Amino acid sequence: MRAAVSSRFWEFARPYAPSYALGLLMLLATNGLSLWIPWLLRDAIERLEEGSPLAEIARLALAMAGIAILQALIRTASRLQILGNSRKIAHDVRRRFFAHLLRLDAPFYDVNRTGDVMSRGVNDIRLVQAFFGPAVLNLLNTSIVYVAAVALLLSIDPLLTVVSLTIYPPLMLAVNRASRRVYARSLAVQEQLATISNRAQENISGIQQVKTYVQEEREIAAFRELCAEFRRRNMSMAALRGVMLSLIGIVTGVGTLVVLYVGGRFVISGRIGFGDFVAFNAYLGLLVWPTIAFGWIINTFQRGLGAMERLDEVLVAVPRIDSGFDADGKQETVAEPLAGHAIEIRDLTFTYPGAAAREPALKNLNLKIPGGSRLAVVGPVGSGKSTLASLLARVYDVPSGSITIGGKDLRDLPVRAWRRSLGYVPQEPFMFSRSLRRNVTFGDPDAEAAAIDRAVERAQLLKDLDQFPDGIETVVGERGFTLSGGQRQRATLARAIVVQPSLLILDDALSSLDADTERSVMRGLDELMRKRTAIFITHRPSTLTEMERIVVLDDGRIVEEGSHEELLALGGTYARIFERQKLRQDLEDR
Amino acid sequence: MSDSDARGKIYDARMMRRLWGYIRPHRMLVSASLVLLFAVSGAQLVQPYLIKRVIDDQIAAGRMDGLGYLALLFLAALLAEFVLRFAQIYVLEQTGQNVVFDLRNESFAHLQRLPSSFFDRNPVGRLMTRLTSDVEALHELFTSGVVMILADLVKLVGIVAILLWMDWRLALVTFTVIPPTLILTWFFRARMRETYRHVRAMLTKLNIELQENVSGMRIVQLFAREREMAESFGETNREHEQAQLRGVRYDSIFSALAELIGSVTLAAIVWAGGWGILEGWVTFGTLVAFIEYAAKFFRPVQELSQRYTVMQAAMAAGERIFDLLDTPVTIRSAAAPTPIHGRLKGEIVFDGVTFGYDPDQPVLHDVSFRIAPGERVGIVGWTGSGKSTLIRLLVRLYDIQAGRILVDGVDIREYELAELRRSIGVVLQDHFLFAGTVENNISLGDSRVTREQVRAAAEAVHVHRLIERLPGGYDENVRERGSNFSTGEKQLFAFARAIAFDPAVLVLDEATASVDPETERRIQQALTTVLSGRTSILIAHRLATVRDADRILVLHHGRLIEQGPHEALLDRPDGIYATLYTLQSA
Repeated sequence: MRAAVSSRFWEFARPYAPSYALGLLMLLATNGLSLWIPWLLRDAIERLEEGSPLAEIARLALAMAGIAILQALIRTASRLQILGNSRKIAHDVRRRFFAHLLRLDAPFYDVNRTGDVMSRGVNDIRLVQAFFGPAVLNLLNTSIVYVAAVALLLSIDPLLTVVSLTIYPPLMLAVNRASRRVYARSLAVQEQLATISNRAQENISGIQQVKTYVQEEREIAAFRELCAEFRRRNMSMAALRGVMLSLIGIVTGVGTLVVLYVGGRFVISGRIGFGDFVAFNAYLGLLVWPTIAFGWIINTFQRGLGAMERLDEVLVAVPRIDSGFDADGKQETVAEPLAGHAIEIRDLTFTYPGAAAREPALKNLNLKIPGGSRLAVVGPVGSGKSTLASLLARVYDVPSGSITIGGKDLRDLPVRAWRRSLGYVPQEPFMFSRSLRRNVTFGDPDAEAAAIDRAVERAQLLKDLDQFPDGIETVVGERGFTLSGGQRQRATLARAIVVQPSLLILDDALSSLDADTERSVMRGLDELMRKRTAIFITHRPSTLTEMERIVVLDDGRIVEEGSHEELLALGGTYARIFERQKLRQDLEDR
Repeated sequence: MSDSDARGKIYDARMMRRLWGYIRPHRMLVSASLVLLFAVSGAQLVQPYLIKRVIDDQIAAGRMDGLGYLALLFLAALLAEFVLRFAQIYVLEQTGQNVVFDLRNESFAHLQRLPSSFFDRNPVGRLMTRLTSDVEALHELFTSGVVMILADLVKLVGIVAILLWMDWRLALVTFTVIPPTLILTWFFRARMRETYRHVRAMLTKLNIELQENVSGMRIVQLFAREREMAESFGETNREHEQAQLRGVRYDSIFSALAELIGSVTLAAIVWAGGWGILEGWVTFGTLVAFIEYAAKFFRPVQELSQRYTVMQAAMAAGERIFDLLDTPVTIRSAAAPTPIHGRLKGEIVFDGVTFGYDPDQPVLHDVSFRIAPGERVGIVGWTGSGKSTLIRLLVRLYDIQAGRILVDGVDIREYELAELRRSIGVVLQDHFLFAGTVENNISLGDSRVTREQVRAAAEAVHVHRLIERLPGGYDENVRERGSNFSTGEKQLFAFARAIAFDPAVLVLDEATASVDPETERRIQQALTTVLSGRTSILIAHRLATVRDADRILVLHHGRLIEQGPHEALLDRPDGIYATLYTLQSA
């Protein structure tokens, strides 16, 4: 894994290697310049001691200012290079990640929940960015400053260097230890905040119970206790944070103290010059922040490594069904419409991938669906209806030869071409946060206005448009206008109609519609479906009576098959289901 | 943009006065923190002066006699700075924590009093934000807001005063860098703020797009729209990258500029100080001390504008919290409530009750009925007929829009709210367990319910042995949302809770969740015990539960359309009840 991850880092960093190299060179230059300034200060003080003319001092001051300007320019450029790279790399990683997500198929998403994928796409990419940017920058910068400053200190006075640097390690260790423990305690604080927030959520979601049982005071008292614990943990963290910040605050001063006492003696005894003394203090000061930052750098590298490992897990996942989509590749050709082609299912047994021990969802299924016909699939929850629909759309793969379209094995058809001839309306209507128009034309962004209007009308969405603030241009979805369940179902139906599918699949997609609207929808579809095949998963009596053929699934098997009348006459499962649904509908209609 | 990104006014007098109300109780801590703040600045600012003394009195004079003493003083200043800064951070945090503690508790307590309709309008997530992130943002006001601004100002004024006192000419030269520093800082910070806001907005957009694609991936793939999604995401990704790069640009320039200003100041001090030394009005010690002070000078100047952002966010959060606290409590007890003496008789009257969660869309239309004391009544109806709403109205979770509800002949609005709710035993549909022990969940922490009564209630509903078998018995802790108990167990606990109080009226909203046959049998058994000897209302989803009721009320589309005993209702073949019955027995 480690080797794979490091090659992943290299893969993303490679295009920016020259820029990193340039950044490193500029860092060397800018730090060289900034280390020169205290040296000039030393020169200036020595000149002053000698009583050189003011012009000499002014020249040195001017040189300092000039170097400072040059230094600032190069510093800016170096940061632009290195930090800029990290942003560009984050962009590349995100692009790769997303493109790969688009290729991954249902088995991947069954196992990896949205929250998990999101956490990788959001947090882990951020950590990787910190790795490539601030962490690299600070590592290079710190190393350069360290080596150069220590060398300069040694050149001024080795003994003084040793004495003043021995003070630093224990201080730094203390700071690092404190900051590690601050981190641990801040986790404890976060944990308690999560507890508080869970408790509040529990309370708010159960507010009716709380009120009915008159538990307000007890809830308030319990909440108060959690808050008190939160305050206690915060204070315990504040104590440590206080120690750490106070320590950092006096680190520079401690160095100065040593220079004052020991260095002062050296100056008086003539071992070093006064200019050396001032410059020494300045160089020592330059070491403070890099040392404190060191713990942070290591930490950021470690977290970046872990993050890349988690991203790599997604990037190496291989879809079982190659949809043929390739973000960088060529556009595929759209296959000819498959209208009129018969679908044949032969001895289909299907088990969901993943859990090996699980029972098949479909068992020995045999079914012929003539081109242009209308089929209803009926059966209790878990009987395999939705599975059948998703297999026809090739969401999961089936054994070769078990599904053929117009005589061709479904597995041999180009996946995306086949899907483009489908109109699929899922059980859970999913809308994107964009305008209703763009949701409806999702499958065919180039659809003509007339086609859109027709689809909206057929889906019985037309009269609803007036209720939306901007009509069909209203932005809907998570961050937009909230549609009712029925409106969402009709919008997803319109989306499926717009693509003029040769096979329309409705997976219990009209359940939130009232009976009248549903009848109108069916009438609207009537004309459209004249030359197309349609599969309805439904229990609606008004829909069922319109079907040419009905299959009843139970426990993954077809238990009854025939026309509505035949099945009613049979008096079996279908008849029972139909009677119940009829009663239900009558009750609702009353 | 998220809530926390909204900009608040940096200073709002009304809000400040209100906040002061919360700070006042802790004003001793605030004062202590301020005193400590001055002390920290003092300990810090004396250090460069001591350096000056070492250089001028010792090094320049070539003596060593006072060096140890001055070094000791320097050490003392360092230690003082260490201790005082620690104390200051700690005391300030304590103040902030106390204020936030009070605010959070008050907000929570206020939430408990708000009517149910408020919770229908406000999603849980939003209310959670008030109690967590908003309160936390307000906390920042203390740790890095007002007080720290004061700290920065104190330090700046201190440095200015010392520099002027040491040498006013050199001080004036040093001060010339202040205006450009201020201007540059302000210029860049304002732009950086904007840029980062933009970066955050773009990131939010990017993440929403990612989230949407991940959760709608099947649709994307079934409609073969991968390319369009990749392009759209790519566009946002690119925009985000550009915003990020702009941020990097400002950030790089600004941090280099901060260093540049420091170095230029150094050059200016060297030049002017050198001049002074050559002319004799400046000592080496003063020169070095100036360099030291100047280094301490720029941090507070730069940080001042950063604090501005924190203040903005805190003010916006404060406004949202106060909005919550200002939401009126609309359902409350009568000013002079009718007391309930002992047990109610248990007569319930609904008289022309009309109610809608949205007043324009009533879910109950002119519903009237009377339930006699001791009567057992079942209420049935199709989903959405308004059955459960009846209960919510009876215990005043909502107030009705027309008509009256009487209990023992008195309008329920005349009673004290808590007393009314306590007098009516209710078992709600979703069995909610409160945090605490099992015993607590039955006694509801009411001291009037003895341990014996709790056990008796548990035995009556046949759940006593089950509880005894738990590792902690009656003291077993209930985990979050009662996740360590099954639905059936929770229902039995709710029964025990209802009868532990021996209410004159018992209302039961039957759960729809399916339980195993064994539990089902127990529940039915328990039910018989629970219902005897009191007025009872049973909202039934399974008709079997109400067959034995004295009377069954049938609701349809919010109207009471049939009533009578089971057999009588079944005799009407076209009736709603008969239809429901056929549906359920099919």
